[in-house]
Amino acid sequence: MDSKPEVKVPVRLSTRDPSIQLEQEPGPLLVQTTLRRPQLSALVNSLLRPDDKPIPFDILINGQFLRTTIDEFLTNNGISAETTLDVEYTRALIPPLNVTSFEHDDWVSAVDVLSVSSVAGVWSGGNVQSGQERILSASYDGLVRVWDMSGNVLATSDAPNNGGRITSLKSAKWISDKKIVAAGMDNTVRLYKYDEDTRTIAPSVELFSHRWVVENLAVHGPSNRILSASADTTVSLFSSNAKENPAPPSELLPSSNTAANKRQKLSKPDKTVPARGALTKLSGHTSPVSSVIFKPDDATVAYSASHDHSLKTWDLPTSTCVDTRTTGHSLLSLGALPKLNLLAAGTSARHITLIDPRASAAQISVMTLRGHKNAVVSLDADPSSDYGLLSGSHDGTVQVWDVRSVRPSQVQGEGQLGESMYTIYRDSAKGRPTHSHGEDVKVFGVRWDKEVGIVSAGEDKRVQINRPVGS
Amino acid sequence: MAPNPRKRKAVTRDVPAASDSEEELADGLLDGILSHSEGESDADQEEDAESDTSSVIEGLSDEDEDEGDGTFSDTDPEDGEQGIREQMRKLNTRDASAQLNGVDHALDLDSRPQTDGELDEQEDENLKPNYTVTTDANGNPRYLYKEIDPVYDSDDSDAPETTNTIGDIPLTYYDEYPHIGYDINGKKIMRPAKGEALDALLDQIDIPKGWTGLTDPATGKPLNLSEEELDVLKRLTRNEVVEDGYDPYPEMVHYFSGKKEIMPLSAAPEPKRRFVPSKHEAKRVMKIVKAIREGRIQPYKPPSEEEEEEEERVYYDVWADEKPRPENSMHLAAPKLPPPGYDASYHPPPEYLPDKNEEVAWLAADEEDREKDYLPKSYEALRKVPGYERFVKERFERSLDLYLAPRVRRNKLNIDPESLLPKLPNPEDLKPFPTMCAAIFRGQEGRVRSVSFDPHGIFVASGGDDGYVRIWELLTGRQVWNVKLSDEDAVDAVKWRPTKDASILAAAAGESVYLIVPYSILSPDVEQASRDILDAGWGYAASKPSTTTNGVTKEPPGKWARPGSKFESKGVLVQATVRSMVKIINWHRRGDYFATVSPRGQSSAVAIHTLSKHLTQLPFRRLKGIAQTAQFHPSKAIFFVATRNTIRSYDLAKQELVKILQPGAKWISSIDVHPGGDNIIVGTYDKRLLWHDLDLSTKPYKTLRFHQEAIRAVRFHQGGLPLFADASDDGSLQIFHGKVVGDLMENATIVPLKVLKGHKVKSRLGVMDVDWHPREPWCVSAGADGTCRLWS
Repeated sequence: MDSKPEVKVPVRLSTRDPSIQLEQEPGPLLVQTTLRRPQLSALVNSLLRPDDKPIPFDILINGQFLRTTIDEFLTNNGISAETTLDVEYTRALIPPLNVTSFEHDDWVSAVDVLSVSSVAGVWSGGNVQSGQERILSASYDGLVRVWDMSGNVLATSDAPNNGGRITSLKSAKWISDKKIVAAGMDNTVRLYKYDEDTRTIAPSVELFSHRWVVENLAVHGPSNRILSASADTTVSLFSSNAKENPAPPSELLPSSNTAANKRQKLSKPDKTVPARGALTKLSGHTSPVSSVIFKPDDATVAYSASHDHSLKTWDLPTSTCVDTRTTGHSLLSLGALPKLNLLAAGTSARHITLIDPRASAAQISVMTLRGHKNAVVSLDADPSSDYGLLSGSHDGTVQVWDVRSVRPSQVQGEGQLGESMYTIYRDSAKGRPTHSHGEDVKVFGVRWDKEVGIVSAGEDKRVQINRPVGS
Repeated sequence: MAPNPRKRKAVTRDVPAASDSEEELADGLLDGILSHSEGESDADQEEDAESDTSSVIEGLSDEDEDEGDGTFSDTDPEDGEQGIREQMRKLNTRDASAQLNGVDHALDLDSRPQTDGELDEQEDENLKPNYTVTTDANGNPRYLYKEIDPVYDSDDSDAPETTNTIGDIPLTYYDEYPHIGYDINGKKIMRPAKGEALDALLDQIDIPKGWTGLTDPATGKPLNLSEEELDVLKRLTRNEVVEDGYDPYPEMVHYFSGKKEIMPLSAAPEPKRRFVPSKHEAKRVMKIVKAIREGRIQPYKPPSEEEEEEEERVYYDVWADEKPRPENSMHLAAPKLPPPGYDASYHPPPEYLPDKNEEVAWLAADEEDREKDYLPKSYEALRKVPGYERFVKERFERSLDLYLAPRVRRNKLNIDPESLLPKLPNPEDLKPFPTMCAAIFRGQEGRVRSVSFDPHGIFVASGGDDGYVRIWELLTGRQVWNVKLSDEDAVDAVKWRPTKDASILAAAAGESVYLIVPYSILSPDVEQASRDILDAGWGYAASKPSTTTNGVTKEPPGKWARPGSKFESKGVLVQATVRSMVKIINWHRRGDYFATVSPRGQSSAVAIHTLSKHLTQLPFRRLKGIAQTAQFHPSKAIFFVATRNTIRSYDLAKQELVKILQPGAKWISSIDVHPGGDNIIVGTYDKRLLWHDLDLSTKPYKTLRFHQEAIRAVRFHQGGLPLFADASDDGSLQIFHGKVVGDLMENATIVPLKVLKGHKVKSRLGVMDVDWHPREPWCVSAGADGTCRLWS
């Protein structure tokens, strides 16, 4: 091997991250093809800031992460060693490791994180200190719980009195450090007050608008807006200020029909929670709406994804549907990549479609991320990168994606094809091979927080936290 | 003996016999004397025999002889003359010889017996020398010998001795007379005719050509000879070969020419060495014999050890250490020779053996032109089969073939197997369809017998052997509601009411159909709407008096009642009971009617229930066969009833039978009507899935036989996707693409898409039921293993 002449290949280094930009363009560098990622990372570090502690970099060549030697990479991709390679370096994504799990009594359907850097933490205006991260979990037993990072339940809500109806929750969100919103199969959106000091979660108002299961919630703190997506094919807009909401539709109140009223009185007559209706009801979907989000930089625009394969853009002030993008599959989850102006939609067909929601976009599906073996039901963006994406699926895995790691797809209309960077398995699976049906380990909700890490909840009645070790 | 020949002999024979004996005596053999008479008699006898035979042989000549006896004439007049002269001469000589014993001759003939005593004297006379002694000019005695009779064989009958019977009288005496003497009887013997006279006579007679003077014994006419016959006779007389054109003297072919040959046939006398034993060889043989005797040479000498060792030569096995190598990728195995046929047998059946012509043709053919390299031959036994003379050649040619002939790898069949398959669209192009298990619904005990999607596609209801009806959240597989309907009976059927305004679940356990509003998963307004629908019928039966016949209250086919507060608190609001076990529930599309089938119910097997009136009706007074399932037409007022082997469709409005379909199945398990209403799929317990096009025929349009076990359930996708599925006892579901085109000219396209496996087979039951999501290409199956599975 030593006798083999060293082959060198010209590379041009670049990055999209301004914080690690090279001060002066070094021009094409000749590097040996036997180098691997760590050597290249060291090279970049030496160029960037020779004195400081080195930052691990990931190396992307032509949009693909370098995982072998350059030589093998060139061979595998059929690239000549004489062409100048465009090498992009980026802060390395450290493999997330399982840190802890919070055990619940029942399936955990959703999680949210309150931390300094989380949206809710930002909206609360500095009330959240670092190290005071709180995790909110919604469970199928109908209770919301607030956890601290040590795995202690700080507060648990009471079981709602809804006239004997099923109380399983499907979604829960922090609005601020004091307010929680949760909704579930009883078709009601509930606002809770969370008191850190007394460690109580008290329902403040019940919002009635939906006739079927509420699948998903979206909140926008500054404008006090709550969006709920429901299986009754509508999206409702509420205000987190109870007063702003109109009176509830009487036929949806549990006391509206005699039998329910009787049951409700029998079960718990004393405490009543004020009821309110929706500001507006956005109807246009033909099938259950599975997910809804606010546009990250504009709270007057919302996106909703539905089982009817379409993604709709709503203008909230006018309550009109601005745009409809129809894909090939039922959409089960929605997440935003704000810097790229892309929406990621998880489908029942086991992949994630990246959709450009702008009216100018010609192609519906910009990119397809394949790798899950079952429906993708939860998505979140990487808080530290503009290109990272997190997905949770019913196959019992959470996968981390980088949308830069792509290659062109063979299938028409799929755009580019991406592959996951890391796959996080459920701790409860204990290394057993996962089946596509993901029995007992289905992941229902994921959240990626800068401080806490990757938080996921699932059928195994746990909230699992994974964090890159060392960061 | 006839007197005539005897007489002749008496005259003619004696003399030569005497001379004979004289000569014999002269040889000095005395024995002959005694035997003389015997010898003579022998000769006589022989002569007789000979003459007899000759007369027998030559019939003609015999006659001639007889004639000639008297006439002296022979066939040839010249011969006759000659003969006469000769005779005369003989007579002369005989005269001389018989001078002495002429009398004796006569005596001898007649008186021999009497003169036995004088025989010796006569002998003595006979012994007298046949010479006369005279004195010559010198005075010395001179012996004058008699002239020797040249006729040495007196027995010769060919030259008959003409006897002179006139005695020893010169003919000149009778010159003046017409006769020449007298015979023994004193009669004149006429002088024979002379030439001129004969000729004159002959000239006088004009003989026609071919005249023979004979008469044809067959016809009695004078026998005339044709020219050819005369020619044949003439040739015969000349001793020539009768055959025409025969050349007795062909030209000689000189086989042995005078040319000098390289290897001439030697006429040299055989050398002596050829027949004289070789002394040298004898010497050598003796040497060997001597050596053997002395033991210097042994007849068998056992090989000495040294020699043995020498014979045990060292053979080096070049390939001893060779290891079998994997064949290289370009290796082509030598083509196999065809196996030998019957005709290659050592004793082939006779029909394989070539006949003469074939054999000749085979031998004559050029070796390259022969069809077969060998000639089939039959041997009685294997041990009689000789060595195969073509063995070496055949091996050589085979080796040559293998060595020289280039081999090509050729696929046996150059047909693309894909091209044999019917042209079907690629399943990939027919997506979406369910391909994998997306969720497992666990929690039931015992078999799950029925599943049903709610019209929104959010929930799935299932009913099973444990008597529970359960409702599940679709994607997660979460059980959200359940109720135990019965302790003893299984829940055989569950079916959501197919409208979206209300949510009512019908479930059958035992003889009862329960109508359920699972309020805990419903919003209050939906619950209220559902309750209103169910409650509308209360009191209807009471307001309308039950039909009476002859004053006896007829038992209604169905009893509608409240199931009791325990059930009502769970949401089970109505219980409708029919006469026998309900196995199938099917809703009308508007949700006001539902049909139940209880196969054991006979006349009440099929019942149609009106929800708004709480009324049960039996549409059929009598049903042919055992009802299996019943279904409403998706758009028309038509009702399908499937019995074990036929499907009948009835027009409910006109109350008449529309069509009878005969799927040809032994036992129908389930049917489903295409949402378009013109096609029906039928699942059977005899493992077949049949597609009926109602417009085409009463016979199935297509039969799909892909399952190993009975098919339990079939279902069309009702939400606009061209899909249908079947569930089988072999634990699998099969998904098909079944596209129905509005165009009447085009038949339905049916493409098998996917086999979904996952359910375990328990006690020979696999998948019990299947239902499609109302919109999505998802289906849920109910398994005998106690699970439901969502396939997406």
